[in-house]
Amino acid sequence: MEPFQNRPASEPADAVRGEDAALAAACLAGDMHGYERLYALQGAKMKNLARNLLGNALDAEDAVQETFLKVQRSIGGFRGQSSFVTWTFRILVNTCHDARRSRVRKKEVTSDDAAENPIPEQRAAAAPPTLRLALERALATLTQHQRDVFLLYEVEGFSHAEIGETLDISEAASKNTLFQAKKNLRQMLEPPRSADAAGAR
Amino acid sequence: MNAMNDANPKTKVNCHDRERIFEDGSRDQWTALEAHALTCIECAEEIRAWKSLSVAATELRDYSDDPSLWPRIHRSLLEEAAKIEQSKSRWTWESIRRSFFVSWQTAAAAAVVLVLVVSAAFYHRYNLTALKTPVAAPSGDLLRNNALAEVERTQSDYMHAIDKLAADAKPQLDNPGTPLLANYREKLQVLDSAIDDLRAQAGQNPSNAHLRYQLLAMYQEKQRTLEEVLEVKR
Repeated sequence: MEPFQNRPASEPADAVRGEDAALAAACLAGDMHGYERLYALQGAKMKNLARNLLGNALDAEDAVQETFLKVQRSIGGFRGQSSFVTWTFRILVNTCHDARRSRVRKKEVTSDDAAENPIPEQRAAAAPPTLRLALERALATLTQHQRDVFLLYEVEGFSHAEIGETLDISEAASKNTLFQAKKNLRQMLEPPRSADAAGAR
Repeated sequence: MNAMNDANPKTKVNCHDRERIFEDGSRDQWTALEAHALTCIECAEEIRAWKSLSVAATELRDYSDDPSLWPRIHRSLLEEAAKIEQSKSRWTWESIRRSFFVSWQTAAAAAVVLVLVVSAAFYHRYNLTALKTPVAAPSGDLLRNNALAEVERTQSDYMHAIDKLAADAKPQLDNPGTPLLANYREKLQVLDSAIDDLRAQAGQNPSNAHLRYQLLAMYQEKQRTLEEVLEVKR
């Protein structure tokens, strides 16, 4: 299976843009239905991303709530230079980063590693827990930037263009960061065959 | 390791292209790489491991809904909206108060400037008038009319007094016995003519002080001339 087949099916671009503009207009007008629609469309993704960034569901819900409040407060400054949804995710990612930094300061942990990287909580899932847990632990060792790009691309199904808008980087930088992230993950999760062979010898 | 792959003649790749394709490969390049991997064990293993990361990543998707989250967000949005509305209304009242304050200040400043301009203009005009007229010009129409009436009255009395002198000197002037008296008569005729002209001009422009002073000077000259005629008689 090549990566393209793993991507979620994309909706027609015009329909997506129309929906995005309608959402932005509704939220700008202070219409609660606009926010409700945004939550219905993106709430689960937002919470999932926040949980993967913060490591637990409670903090993730707080981050999503804070993100909605920030959207409400700053919607007047939204100029439509990016899509409304990617703008919202940008706020979410920054909120999660702030929450992590705040958590580090509050807990005053002794270990830098434990402070910097979230400890993933146990989640019930259909997939083999060892693989998922191993991936979560490996993700925790990535740089913040690599983790953001990997989660947005591989988990949430954002395109590199959307990731560029969300993280304020170029599309090429997003591709390169993803490549580096996956290379690091691969080394951590599955050492290359050549290394195995060398070890065996 | 195969150096080249012949499965896809349009896009030929080898093991060295693998990482580049992993990073930013097109669909055709991926197809070509997979075709190449059919005969390359190393590339096949690398592709498997690479794709397994994407497969594993899907296991990080947990889109289960928490029914309590949206009501919580909704409530906080409503509270925030109420706060924003409250701050807006406070801002509006504050801005009105501030703008009123600013308007009041502006109006006061404008009034002060107006008073200064009017005072300066009045002072300037007053000074000009004072330079032209040694007598202080009363301000206001009422005062001006009163002053003019007094001038007219004084002038009239003065004229009557001079007419009495003229009546005393009239016999000598009508029959001048000497060239001196003849000269006085001619001078008085010229003065009367000038007085008539000035009175006509003063009638058209009663508040012209300069005409009044000229007229007064003529009367004084006529008075002096008549006194001299009477001196000659004695």
